Amino acid sequence: MDEPVLLLEGVTKVYPGTVALESVHFEALPGEVHGLIGKNGAGKSTLVGILSGLVEPTSGSITMNGRTFSSFSRSRAKREGISIVPQEPEIVLDLSVAENLFLGELENSSGFVSWSRIRADARRILDRFGLDIGIDLQARDLSLSERQILLILKACVVEDANIVVLDEASASLSRNDAAILKRIVNELRESGKAVLYISHHIDELLEICDRLTVLRDGRVVATRKKGTLDHHSLAELIVGETLSSSESGRKRSANFGEELLRLENLTQWGSFRNISFSLKKGEILGIAGLRGSGRTELLKAISGIEPGYAGQINFKDKRVFFSTPSEALRMGIAYLPEDRETEGLIKSFSIRENLLLNSIARFSRSGFVLGGDAARRAEEIFAGVQIQAFSMEQSAEELSGGNKQKVVIGRIMANEPEVYLLDEPTRGVDIGAKRSILSIVDGPLRASAGVLLTSPGLDDLMDICDRILVLHKGDMVREYRREDFDEKSLFMDMQGLGFQNRRGGDECRAV
Amino acid sequence: MSGGLKIKLTLLDNIIWLMLSLFFFACALGIPAFASWNNIVNILYHTTIMSMLVLAQGFVLLSGNLDLSIDAVLAFAPGAVILASTKWFPGVLGNPYLAILLTLLVGGCIGFFNGYCVARLGMNAFMQTLSLSIILRGMVLFLIPLSIFPLDPVYSFIGKARFPALGNLPAAIPVAFAVYFFFHILLKHTVFGRNYLATGGNARASFVAGIDTRKMVIAGFIIAGLLSAVAGMLTAGRQDSVSNTMGNGMTLLAFAGALLGGTSMSGGKGSAFGMLGGAILLGMFSNALNLLGVKVTLIHAAQGALIFVAILVDRFRIALRAKLLRDEQLRKLKGAKG
Repeated sequence: MDEPVLLLEGVTKVYPGTVALESVHFEALPGEVHGLIGKNGAGKSTLVGILSGLVEPTSGSITMNGRTFSSFSRSRAKREGISIVPQEPEIVLDLSVAENLFLGELENSSGFVSWSRIRADARRILDRFGLDIGIDLQARDLSLSERQILLILKACVVEDANIVVLDEASASLSRNDAAILKRIVNELRESGKAVLYISHHIDELLEICDRLTVLRDGRVVATRKKGTLDHHSLAELIVGETLSSSESGRKRSANFGEELLRLENLTQWGSFRNISFSLKKGEILGIAGLRGSGRTELLKAISGIEPGYAGQINFKDKRVFFSTPSEALRMGIAYLPEDRETEGLIKSFSIRENLLLNSIARFSRSGFVLGGDAARRAEEIFAGVQIQAFSMEQSAEELSGGNKQKVVIGRIMANEPEVYLLDEPTRGVDIGAKRSILSIVDGPLRASAGVLLTSPGLDDLMDICDRILVLHKGDMVREYRREDFDEKSLFMDMQGLGFQNRRGGDECRAV
Repeated sequence: MSGGLKIKLTLLDNIIWLMLSLFFFACALGIPAFASWNNIVNILYHTTIMSMLVLAQGFVLLSGNLDLSIDAVLAFAPGAVILASTKWFPGVLGNPYLAILLTLLVGGCIGFFNGYCVARLGMNAFMQTLSLSIILRGMVLFLIPLSIFPLDPVYSFIGKARFPALGNLPAAIPVAFAVYFFFHILLKHTVFGRNYLATGGNARASFVAGIDTRKMVIAGFIIAGLLSAVAGMLTAGRQDSVSNTMGNGMTLLAFAGALLGGTSMSGGKGSAFGMLGGAILLGMFSNALNLLGVKVTLIHAAQGALIFVAILVDRFRIALRAKLLRDEQLRKLKGAKG
């Protein structure tokens, strides 16, 4: 057997409050496409971070080209021959296609750029893979899929690396470009390169990869050859020992109040199709789905941030349409942004000012803020969501991720809405903060309103939701009631695989 | 939070007034006649025009934009109105009170135009206000090739009048202070003010939080236009005429005043009193150099150096603030363990 081109031994990464990776052993052979899969939070992105030199491991070693390192720097990783295609296409929008392709590798003779050669080489590479993209186009004018395939070509072909890491590279590709990706990967395999292929989609991995490594809770659970796995055995490895519904299920009394929100066949082109459900007061409805399933877009459509849909939304039996978030807020529908840094916080404001951002008009008379009332309300919320800070006057940007999130939750609570749309409230926060955020949702929020909740991990949803809707590529696949929660079955539905089995026919399969 | 830390943070956040006091005492010791009543009144009187422009620029900066047209508005608003009321329609527009209102209206409309272009049409604030600034300057040169004087005493009151009963205090000084006080209340204690600052701090988050951020940006430009018109009336009043050189080159110094006063270039951070401090420091600085007999051309260069110092002090202030809070956190952790 060949020597591995990359060998990770005993790699551990500890973050304050959580162990992201625990003595991970991983190897990649030349001429191998090695798949990596695991739930959110299993440690995939930490592993990629270590390989690309962005994350420093706490302990362990990396062996490449006969040399052993305890950590990589960004430039070291590149020099040793590791190329990475990140999840989000990072492309220079104002440069041409050809220049983006050769960025950082501009052919030069004595410091001058040889445009004729770059353009000829770019044309040759694009033609080789049958890509009909003009080399002089600005990257700005390309579709998301074309930008992504450009980055893949850059990493796989132009940079001529020994190891290529594709981090969910197929997520934003069109069908045509996905086929091109397969061709590129096959070429790499034939030329003896190693490919590390990361994806959330079981289907894709089983088709493309020679071996698969499954991560769960920061540990390598198994590394298996392609032929020894099928959909079900792989899903079992990923999900692990699951609590059956009777164990996790404190059964909830279905004592819900009036119906608050009812969606009828809501459709937004390219995001989601025919979504219908209703939400009652006191109910927590989870929305599960992979990236690109339309969960975030659905919440943004309801809250008026990305308006423009067919179908209708009823609030308390009245048809409503919000074209801006402020209209939704006035009716009592509050949206918690998925990205708290850019859409949630005013960083230059103190905690108190952030908490009162939406509700300040309530504590004012003819435009003037009533200092005492406002301060009391801020004090109340501050204590209610248990923000850890020296004082409310501290600037919001000095807080940890979990506490920032609590500030944003507190802010929308201050307005006392009747429907909460919570878009990944537990993303990127540590375990302790996650628990307290979930208990806020399960406690005060549930008591006063109806909640729509999305989450990067199924366990959060299974923990507190009364029902879970599963979306797959914009379609509503199935609705689970609490007594039917089953992590494996939910997981298969999110992959778009469960649907097929249940209905027993390929023609029903979600596209 | 310990009391000592609170005091230190307060001092840091108001560092402009600390700098101003230090500078004042240094000058008072070193330069004879600097700390006299007459000279102090003189400094403040000479600061009033600049202080209006500093507030105008600072206010637009708070919303995350900038306005290069303020000194052109300073000249254009009173210039066009005085021309119309004395030369074109002396009968209809002869009333000086009407002329004052019209001047404010012209400033406000220009501000609205800027704001509309930036917020609604998505134009870049730098380019939009630059183009308008050049247009207005050209118009002023075309319309007022020669100065128009004298002005109606009602019109020139805020720029020229003095109160003999109050030690010959010029009316401009209480007017400027009143304007600053108004904007302090507006920013600190009204819903509009808070929403306005939030827009500058993070426009996307403010939009998601339900604030009409475009309205906020437009309001900021309107206010800048109004304040520039007030500065124009102060200037016209002081020289008892309108001329085409009024306000030349003051826009960039207004940036300096706002920055000295702790206004953030990226928006969301700053206060009216800070800007006032910045404006006064600018005025006091050139007054001190004047008294020392420094040439006018050199004073201009020295003001540039002052801006550099201001940026330096600001970086220092931010670093020190972060360090103080970090130390406090460490102390807290140690306390929790011990």
